[in-house]
Amino acid sequence: MARKKKDRNKGDEVKLEMTPMIDVVFQLLIFFIVTLKQEDILSQLEVLRPAPDTNTTPETQIEPITILVGRTGFVYRGRPVTESELNSSIARVAKYNTNAMVMVKCTLDSDHRWLVKALDICSRNNMTKLSVFSM
Amino acid sequence: MTPMIDVVFQLIIFFIVTITMTENRNEDIRLERSIHGLEIKSDENSSPLTLVIEVDRKGRVSIRNVAMSHAQLAGIIDHRHRKYNVFPIMIRADYRTKHVHVKNVMDICTGLGIGRVSFVAVKDPRTPESKARWSN
Repeated sequence: MARKKKDRNKGDEVKLEMTPMIDVVFQLLIFFIVTLKQEDILSQLEVLRPAPDTNTTPETQIEPITILVGRTGFVYRGRPVTESELNSSIARVAKYNTNAMVMVKCTLDSDHRWLVKALDICSRNNMTKLSVFSM
Repeated sequence: MTPMIDVVFQLIIFFIVTITMTENRNEDIRLERSIHGLEIKSDENSSPLTLVIEVDRKGRVSIRNVAMSHAQLAGIIDHRHRKYNVFPIMIRADYRTKHVHVKNVMDICTGLGIGRVSFVAVKDPRTPESKARWSN
């Protein structure tokens, strides 16, 4: 009796079904391909913002650097400057003092990109004390 | 039948997963580039209290892609300010938006006693769209 049972088990071959596994693998592959989405690496530019009713220049021992941001670009020391010119000017200041306060004054109709560009130039030159004013 | 059931299960899993992965930010906002800004680290390192305020091209304000009025925004900031006192605020503004719209958001923050905000920009473009924009 016991011998008979043993023989019957011997005859049952375990067959591994590959098709479902391949299906699952393909599905996972498609899933990862479809959902793979590269994301931009982001940066942050921290600024100080004076209270809305404050129009006075912050009290510092060092004369603050003022960058005007207009509708078409930057004005530095009374004349319109390009991005590279502004960078050179800020770099000259930063060479001696990176603790100087930088005041970025934006006109209301200026595009936000000019403000970001101005702050990026300041960050590039390790100027960390940045404040944004609106005019 | 087994393969078909497998496929169906996979599709179900796919939909369940993608439903939870829906974008909770305004995808229409295009950011300016800032190579030298401080890199925003992955979520695990950033403060969970960070409030990201979105300002789109037309000046519409939203948080997690939920549009809101200035009064509602002020309410949210005020509530957080009372609860946590200090928390980081990031302004994710479209590069084409006018400064007046950004000013309005900053004024709400400063009016509630928060004088420090950050602007979000792109440090390293990775998406095809961003790469195309700054390829020249």
